[in-house]
Amino acid sequence: MTQLSKARAGKITAEMEMVAARENLDVEFIRDGVASGRIVIPKNIKRKEFNCCGIGQGLRIKVNALIGTSSDRDNIEVEARKLAIAQEAGCDGVMDLSTGGNIDGMRRQTLAQAGVPVGTVPIYQCGIEAIEKRGSVVAMTDEDMFAAVEKQAAQGVDFMAIHCALNFDVIKRLKATGRVTDVVSRGGAFLTGWMLHNNKENPLYEQFDRLLKILKAYDVTLSLGDAIRPGSTADSLDGAQLQGLIIAGELVARAQAAGVQVMVEGPGHVPMHHVKTTMLLQKNLCQGAPYFILGTLATDVAPGYDHITSAIGGAIAGAAGADFICYVTPAEHLGLPSEQDVKDGVMAARVAAHAADLARGNKQAWAKDMQIARARVALDLDRQIALAIDPGKVKAALGSGSGDHCCAVCGSDCAAQVAAKYFGIA
Amino acid sequence: MTLLNSAQKGKTTPEMEQVAAKEGVAPEFIRQGVAEGTIVIPRNINRSNIIPMGIGTGLRTKVSASVGMYGRDAEIGTEIRKVKAALEAGTDSIMDLSVSGDIDSMRRETLATAPTPVGTLPLYQAIAEAADKHGSSVNMTVEDLFEVIERQATDGVDFLALHCGTTMSVVERAKREGRIDPLVSYGGSHLIGWMIYNQKENPLYEHYDRVLEIARRHGATISLADGMRPGCLADSLDGAQVEELVILGELVRRAREAGVQVMVKGPGHVPLNQIEATVRLQKSLCKGAPYFVFGPVVTDIAAGYDHISAAIGGALAAWTGAEFICYVTAAEHIGLPDVDQVREGVVAARIAAHAADLAKGMPGAAEWDLQLSRARKELDWEKQIALAIDPKRAGLLRKERTGDSSSACAMCGKYCAMEVVSRYLGSAKQGC
Repeated sequence: MTQLSKARAGKITAEMEMVAARENLDVEFIRDGVASGRIVIPKNIKRKEFNCCGIGQGLRIKVNALIGTSSDRDNIEVEARKLAIAQEAGCDGVMDLSTGGNIDGMRRQTLAQAGVPVGTVPIYQCGIEAIEKRGSVVAMTDEDMFAAVEKQAAQGVDFMAIHCALNFDVIKRLKATGRVTDVVSRGGAFLTGWMLHNNKENPLYEQFDRLLKILKAYDVTLSLGDAIRPGSTADSLDGAQLQGLIIAGELVARAQAAGVQVMVEGPGHVPMHHVKTTMLLQKNLCQGAPYFILGTLATDVAPGYDHITSAIGGAIAGAAGADFICYVTPAEHLGLPSEQDVKDGVMAARVAAHAADLARGNKQAWAKDMQIARARVALDLDRQIALAIDPGKVKAALGSGSGDHCCAVCGSDCAAQVAAKYFGIA
Repeated sequence: MTLLNSAQKGKTTPEMEQVAAKEGVAPEFIRQGVAEGTIVIPRNINRSNIIPMGIGTGLRTKVSASVGMYGRDAEIGTEIRKVKAALEAGTDSIMDLSVSGDIDSMRRETLATAPTPVGTLPLYQAIAEAADKHGSSVNMTVEDLFEVIERQATDGVDFLALHCGTTMSVVERAKREGRIDPLVSYGGSHLIGWMIYNQKENPLYEHYDRVLEIARRHGATISLADGMRPGCLADSLDGAQVEELVILGELVRRAREAGVQVMVKGPGHVPLNQIEATVRLQKSLCKGAPYFVFGPVVTDIAAGYDHISAAIGGALAAWTGAEFICYVTAAEHIGLPDVDQVREGVVAARIAAHAADLAKGMPGAAEWDLQLSRARKELDWEKQIALAIDPKRAGLLRKERTGDSSSACAMCGKYCAMEVVSRYLGSAKQGC
């Protein structure tokens, strides 16, 4: 039985208890959220114990990091270090997006070393094997696709991005819209190429029930991949994107009915004035299923700083209802992220998520800010360090101990000190 | 005659024409904005090397970088390197916030180096000189303070930040309502201490006409600073902040009547869901005067990452109506920024400003995005990097994270999604 079917049967699981404790919420709230599909708890039944996290309405916004090899850079030791760095930086989930070298070995390593839920995109490995063995991504078979999902599910992957909401209706809209950057999702591109070449409907859409059966057996959470996410601000909220979202909504209902936990993936490049509308549309079309968003990137013009464009978009999206933020690193659009990029990406996404939690009135978030504000007024450096989002960075800059309200200019007989006494904080 | 006087009389000055040309709007639009006070063009009549820049409604969002000497180790040379780094990163303005050392020379050097408007906070120097002259900043005289304001205006400072609205009534309210962090602003804290020690009203409020007279004579713009900017989220939009804003609204009116250009300085630490309300209040109370916001940072916990926190807040503030963003660096709350943090702070603020201009539909903003995205689709790396907000950094990262080997990028390597799909969609070669 999946978390969803248990929740529906009124059963409270250990995973729900763990989530409730971490969020300081009533476990019944979690169970009800899982039962209604507004909360997911990604955890494959084959996976060892780890820090379960709940994703969805009423919960702290979670942050996802991406690691993985590519054909240009396939050192799995480097990727292991990135995983460790991402976790130390406080990510809540991680996706292994490997496309180079020993992909199976890389995934086993990630599953063994991660203390958070692990996600994958099975179509990557499937497409790459087709290219390597048969010369082209269009040579994939239906069987290959489902076999890849089955294999990865059996290994213990907790959530899978699968581009089921891509069909010929979407491609028709895509052609009609005249997009600036067409398809920017790699999985979406593999499938689009496959469909157009073979003139066949997307098997992951057409045989959706078959997919659900595999996912259900392992309680893999389905993350409906967004094949058609906007790759430039000009493409945001166009007909193709909305067609994909409408279909995603239909598939959410079918997954939930089948007892499969499901969330929806989304944008991409979105100008700020489109963010709220995007969130509302997703929540409405997808029955309140958790929204897992990349970024969103508030502008196209800042390669080298896309962790910042994404922090802007992610914060607004989070405040407007997004539940799970996929990080974007400074290397986005330029290359494969370094270890430092991974850390910067997680921290930027966490700042955005926390800012959104505050805007949503999350009590734990407000308590944290209040504590650090008081530590600042009391000039308590040790507390400021301990409470900061990145204690190591603050400690390196501040040292420790405590100070007074005098500034560098006047020494002890200082006007600022007089003011501090007046307010009772000297 | 100040620019405001000229505009009110229907006269379009060369400064207004230059701003209009840069912004791609009609000179009459600028003249009208200046006349109504919704646009300011900070430009001291004693300045010779300045390229006029407009701030306000209907114009591209501008950013400002702060430098200045603080503490024993500060050097003019280091600070001027920061000025140059900020200019290279594309700042629209510089503030010299020196609180110690040879403040006069630092200011003159900044004015000579920057072709942008330069702002200062004269109270800092008055405090430092009072400490030297009288042993403590509490012994500063009103004459000391005005002498410094006059000196800085004479040097050619384009906008003077002055805490004219931090009155005794506002200070008492802050105490009464139990503000968590009443001492956020360096100038504000000292001014409040002075007021309490001497049991006197804020001289910048009491002698506001004298402030205006100096500003008018030199054509300087007043930037009404806030002593009660929120220093933590919990203090945002409290009684003290709002009362000070009400007073600033009155002072805006008096400045305009005196023919002095004026803008209003604001937040601080503001939760995301209070940014729009903050900007609307300022616009309403201050009759459309340009809003110059510090950040705002959207959480208290992001020390080390406050340039990111501020980019979030700044983007939202500018989108909802703030026109001028003061950068926040990664060193905020934990030290003084180095040259690299200055550059990074400027770029973060520029990203926020551009994201806001894009959301507001400012002419040209979407065009920039479109050009870069088209270059991306064509895998035209040279063009992508040339169009990037910081071409140097984009070029460096591409080199380090990909190398020159790949036509795509190392993220996808030979499985570049766009190359795959474009083959079948029959569209041009693309990139992500």
